[in-house]
Amino acid sequence: MKRIYIILLSSLFIWSCNKFDDEINTNPNRPSEASGTQLIASAQLSLPGLSSSPKGAFMAQYLAETQYVGQSLYPQESTSFYSWYQSPLINLQTVIDSEELNGNDGPVANQKAVAKILKAYYFWNITDRWGDVPYFDALQGGDNYTPTYDPQEEIYNDLFSELQEAGDMIVSGSINNDIVYNGDMAKWEKFANTLRMLMALRLSEVDPDKGSTEFNAAVNDGVFESNSDNLVYRHLADADNQSYWFGQVVNQNREWWALTETLVEEMKPVDDPRLAVYGEPARSSGEYVGLEFGKEEVTGTETEEYSLLGSDIYAQDAPVYLVTYGQVLFAMAEAVERGWITGDAEEYYNMAVEASIEQWTGNTDEVDEFLNNPEIAFDADNAIESISNQRWVHLYMFGYEAWSEWRRTGYPNDLVEPNGMAVPTRLSYPDNEAFNNEENYYEAIDRQFGGDDSIYGNVWWDE
Amino acid sequence: MRNKLTIMALLAFFQISGMLAQQNEVTGTVTVASDGMTLPGVNVMEKGTRNGTVTDMEGNYSIEVAADAVLVFSSLGFERQEQAVNGRDIIDVIMTEDLEGLDEVVVTALGITRDRKSLGYATQEVDGENFTLTNEQNVLGSLSGRVAGVQVTGASGSSMGGTQKIKIRGINSLSGGGEPLLVVDGTPISNANFAGSSGADYGNLGQDINPNDIESVNVLKGPTASALYGIRGQYGVIMITTKDGGKGIKDTRVQLSTNVSVEKAGNFMPVQNMYGAGSSQSFSTLPNGDPYVALGVDESWGPRMDGTPVRHAWSFYTQDPGYGELAPFSPQPDNIKNFYETGHNINNNVSVSGGNENTSYRLSVNDTRIEGVEPNTYLKRNNIGLNTSLDINDKITVNSNVNYARNDAQRPQQGSEYGTGYFVQWFQRNVDMNKLENYQYSDGTFQHWNLRSPSSTTGEITNFNPLYWNNPYFEAYENTNNDRRDRFFGNIGVTYQVLPELEISANVRSDMYTQNIETRRGFGGTGVPGYTVGKYQNTEMNYELLAQYNKEFGDFSINGTLGGNIFDRRYSYVYQGTQGGLTTPGFYNIDASIDRPTTTSYLLRKQIRSGFAMASVGYQDTYFVEASIRNDNSSTLPEENNSYWYPSFSGSMVFSEFTDWKPLTFGKLRASYAQAGSDLAPYQTSNFYTVGTVYNNINTLSVPNSLPNPNILPSFAHSYEIGVDLRFLNNRLGLDVTYYEQRNKDQIIDLDISGATGYSSRVLNAGEITNNGIELSLTGTPVKTDNFRWDATLNLNRNRSEVVELHPGIDVYQYGSTTYSSVNSYLNSYEGEPFGSLIGQAYQRDEATGQILLDANNMPLYTDATHNFGSVLPDLTGGFQNNIQFGNFNLAAMIDFQKGGQFFSRSKMLAVRTGQDPVTVATNSNGANVRDPLEEGGGVEVSGISADTGEEVTAFVDARSYYRNVVGRRIYEEWLYDASYIKLREVRLGYTFGPGVMEKLPFEAVNLAFIARNPAMLWQNAPEGIDPSEISTGSQDISWYESGQLISVRSYGLNLNITF
Repeated sequence: MKRIYIILLSSLFIWSCNKFDDEINTNPNRPSEASGTQLIASAQLSLPGLSSSPKGAFMAQYLAETQYVGQSLYPQESTSFYSWYQSPLINLQTVIDSEELNGNDGPVANQKAVAKILKAYYFWNITDRWGDVPYFDALQGGDNYTPTYDPQEEIYNDLFSELQEAGDMIVSGSINNDIVYNGDMAKWEKFANTLRMLMALRLSEVDPDKGSTEFNAAVNDGVFESNSDNLVYRHLADADNQSYWFGQVVNQNREWWALTETLVEEMKPVDDPRLAVYGEPARSSGEYVGLEFGKEEVTGTETEEYSLLGSDIYAQDAPVYLVTYGQVLFAMAEAVERGWITGDAEEYYNMAVEASIEQWTGNTDEVDEFLNNPEIAFDADNAIESISNQRWVHLYMFGYEAWSEWRRTGYPNDLVEPNGMAVPTRLSYPDNEAFNNEENYYEAIDRQFGGDDSIYGNVWWDE
Repeated sequence: MRNKLTIMALLAFFQISGMLAQQNEVTGTVTVASDGMTLPGVNVMEKGTRNGTVTDMEGNYSIEVAADAVLVFSSLGFERQEQAVNGRDIIDVIMTEDLEGLDEVVVTALGITRDRKSLGYATQEVDGENFTLTNEQNVLGSLSGRVAGVQVTGASGSSMGGTQKIKIRGINSLSGGGEPLLVVDGTPISNANFAGSSGADYGNLGQDINPNDIESVNVLKGPTASALYGIRGQYGVIMITTKDGGKGIKDTRVQLSTNVSVEKAGNFMPVQNMYGAGSSQSFSTLPNGDPYVALGVDESWGPRMDGTPVRHAWSFYTQDPGYGELAPFSPQPDNIKNFYETGHNINNNVSVSGGNENTSYRLSVNDTRIEGVEPNTYLKRNNIGLNTSLDINDKITVNSNVNYARNDAQRPQQGSEYGTGYFVQWFQRNVDMNKLENYQYSDGTFQHWNLRSPSSTTGEITNFNPLYWNNPYFEAYENTNNDRRDRFFGNIGVTYQVLPELEISANVRSDMYTQNIETRRGFGGTGVPGYTVGKYQNTEMNYELLAQYNKEFGDFSINGTLGGNIFDRRYSYVYQGTQGGLTTPGFYNIDASIDRPTTTSYLLRKQIRSGFAMASVGYQDTYFVEASIRNDNSSTLPEENNSYWYPSFSGSMVFSEFTDWKPLTFGKLRASYAQAGSDLAPYQTSNFYTVGTVYNNINTLSVPNSLPNPNILPSFAHSYEIGVDLRFLNNRLGLDVTYYEQRNKDQIIDLDISGATGYSSRVLNAGEITNNGIELSLTGTPVKTDNFRWDATLNLNRNRSEVVELHPGIDVYQYGSTTYSSVNSYLNSYEGEPFGSLIGQAYQRDEATGQILLDANNMPLYTDATHNFGSVLPDLTGGFQNNIQFGNFNLAAMIDFQKGGQFFSRSKMLAVRTGQDPVTVATNSNGANVRDPLEEGGGVEVSGISADTGEEVTAFVDARSYYRNVVGRRIYEEWLYDASYIKLREVRLGYTFGPGVMEKLPFEAVNLAFIARNPAMLWQNAPEGIDPSEISTGSQDISWYESGQLISVRSYGLNLNITF
């Protein structure tokens, strides 16, 4: 009798033992290690998203809605910045913090430098859109669930020094898995300096002294010298790597966007050679016809009567221009005009237009004729306006960047106000920050905007 | 070495068993007290052994037992009786009918049968016949309203076996999950769900049980009842016992059951029939001046449907016989209705059962064929079940239970962007469905209704790719969704009666399935043609050893259980999808992928090792105490923290023993306490990277959005429960009331954190959620005469939940979110509030008066998406079941209901936004149509307070701007509905043919019934066209927003049951 119980008890004991096969809770479906350059490559996949956005195009009034007009009426609604932190930034931060980077993928210093430069580029875009954002306490995972919002001025200051530091870190030797510059570190260094230059120009109203200093330092360190230095994200002709607009226009058959009347009226009268790339002639008339921005559709045939996106813009493998030589030249022209540097503003302006036409059309045949047009020729009396308007045409499709320049300079000065709604001056914070990071969120909107997380608050540099 | 010892020991016991006490034969006849008729099928068991037999057709039995044995006579519906043999050779027994089964035996955790009165916790049993009343497609749906405290949220019948979600005693998990464990004859089976929250609803896997095989279902509601299931039983257990043959009956019994029903689409949302497609009330015209329908506009804000001759979409197809023709622009009031077909549900079941002295068997075969109300949808289901039991000798019994299920379905898709979910959301009221039915022209091209506008120079359409929506028949025939599942589950076991009071059993239990899911997107429709295929395999094994000890010492009865279990799960899948289109029309294969196909392979392994013990002591059959403990070791928890103990205690007292108050037949008080726990899915404790897109041979890797946690602990639930079980007037009236409280701590949740941390969520032990409530089950027989009897059961549950605590620094948990047209809504839980608050945009209101604030254009102002509308959970759920027996007629009706709870309806919101809802053509106080121009008295009357001036304003505003751009797009407060309802779920009127008829036929019994399932919603607060009892959206644990819900199905049919 006793033996029964002994056997029973001992077999139960065997049953209930807490040692498992070591492998059982190791995830066989995901790698547990990643190389620094694979993480950087992943962060680069998010680059075109900085530009490819209907909302950005509405902010700069490049595109008007042909149907379901709504987003272009500037509704008061929140826009999330979470995906920037969760996709590119955390991957870059992981590289920056890593102590186990492998030199087989290129010098570790260069991997870290590229991660720092890209991180700075993303944060520059983020802070320009929203204002103060989590920066110093951000990207710390479980160590800080509720990062505070840092003032934009402090973010700018840190970005300048981070970019300089990154540029200084670079050693000889290329890195692997680089989607945008194919590991060319000289290009990365120029890109870092170009970022500093363009950021410095952003300070033209709020702190011109600092702007001038940073601008000159950046130019001295060496900025873009041709369109081949551009930061361009090149989509591929396959479904995994296709452009945003291909998915919208071709895959989803959406002809929801026409060129705005504002844009067509800027380009068509002067026979701008870029217009043939930017859009298609209206199907009904064969002419370029812009659609009034923010106008409620009335006929349902807007897609027939107005110019829609150009086929190069929505090609599956369309390039997305992010930071370009043209911008550098426009910045130089403006800096001369502001007395930050010496030189000939007109010459920079002409070079800028030429670089832009080369970038968009692939040739410069029509440049001289175009620049000879009195409407286009540099107007020394209204230099900033001339530069800004052409920069706006140049920045086509990167609406958010053009919108920042509009906020800074006020040009183009003929943007429309749909239903009486002015062009917004920032994006509202993600509404779930009010749940997830309540205290810091309210502190940030109190500090900057008197408690109203409105799309009409002004960011620090936008005076 | 150890194994050898065990085997030798076991062999030794077998030998001993052969030489036990001397036997003699006892015979007798069993009769019924009320009418003196003999009673066949009575179980006659030698107490404390597995030796037993069953009375034959004449009520006679014969059994070999020891002279000092005690015989136990039991039969369903009769009181159990014990007779000491005391050397007698003939023992005749008179059984008395047991109306409510006071001495009924219930199946408790691990399949242990216990006297109901000895239990210190609540369980509620449902008879098997309730699962076959009206041929429910998903057997678990039949639980709705039948058990107090069990809430079933279902899907529409159009899904053919779609999801039926079960929650016991509220939401006990912050993550909203926490479904009860399903156990069939002791074997835990998977109730997984492959459906997403939209798309085809494949339904939960628990439906693989053949309803015709169910003997009874017992619901173990609280952690005490399920304590012996440890980590897997935290959310309750549904114990299903299947039918078996009976030892001793020498004849074979054949049962045939046939159901034939028709299924009709019902509950259509009302729509307007005055205005058709367009954005404005005038037509665009072709170069020749002919007006045409605004083909590109999927809304109905267009011209009045006054019969104006216009060019319709079909008239632009040169291959259409009506090419170039004008036809009246006129209303199509039934265009949505016309799409649906009459479905059929044919179900045949045959079972054969029988046995002899030492064997029993039951074989059951089922064939179900459903053709759905949506065209080209079907479900074919087959079940085979075999239960066998063999007594090798009077000590050892071998039993096996094997079930096979196969499902083969082509299902419709639900949700707003899928299938026909767009009908009330984005559609033209002028579309003639009969024209669309011939969706393919003879040259192979397809006809659609939503096209680009014709060229304003040629008047022709050159691009016939549909714009946003396919012809619904194209969806039905070209974009098909197929799923197929083969599944085996069951067990093989040995029971060894070591001593009269000690029984040891060993079981190997298994549940394995292979699920295939295929989707196709055809050429010639919206989007990129494609094909996806997934193969999912799951094997769950349980190895179980159990010892049970039962003994009476004088006034004491002792009941003990000791056992161990190893749970081992291996789940894997391979999923592939084409990318960038297909190379060849009609060739649906991964090889046809134009770009590199997406592929995923996945493997999951999990083990839980457990040991457990339970002991129960009864005194004078009046006082009972019970304690249990279980130890679980889970492989998914960190190694240093993976072993946990879960105790439970309960007690009961039959206080009716102390009172002579006549009306009280039985009274019992019970109380219990338990701890239960749960672990987490594998691989959440260590860091890993996510594999990203491959760019030109560059493999990208990224940090996942959810931050793992190496320090995770199992979560614990503490529960208390007290209850009283009362029976009055000889069981004419019964009342079972339970109060419970469950406190779930250290919940393992994927807590949303600020995205600025670099992550979207973190796996944490966070928070505490409590539920308390009252369950009430009232049973009664209000009328009982010689040939009329009315039995009724009312079940009620009122549950209150509260999120007590989340995590330091975090006071809101986001369960879910949706974004539509850039407007967000959330289901959040806040500290100090009930679980699951709906969050969205509300009207801005004047603080003093509560009136709506209006902007300068007199349009309502709205808040941002942070307004809290309160919990989605119901206050009260229940069911009311009636059974009326009148002569040979039997009428059964099941009503279930819910009070409270709420949801957002995107369907209703969009019906208004796109100008389809009747409210968009209402007559305003000027007597004008709201769509008429403002200057002619039209417009929607809006009143409120001007935000600028603070003055009260009443004004008319343009209907389209108001409904389409403001209210129907941004103000979710308008689209919030009460989920209360009272639903007539099942009705069955049957007739049993009497013996007079039977004599001429070779049948033992015949019953013919008219059945109706889901015949009527008796009352609901939500608007017509939305069924609040069917808003379960696929795999979503909590139903909080409705969008593109499948059409309700009303089903009527005949059921024939024949026993040979």
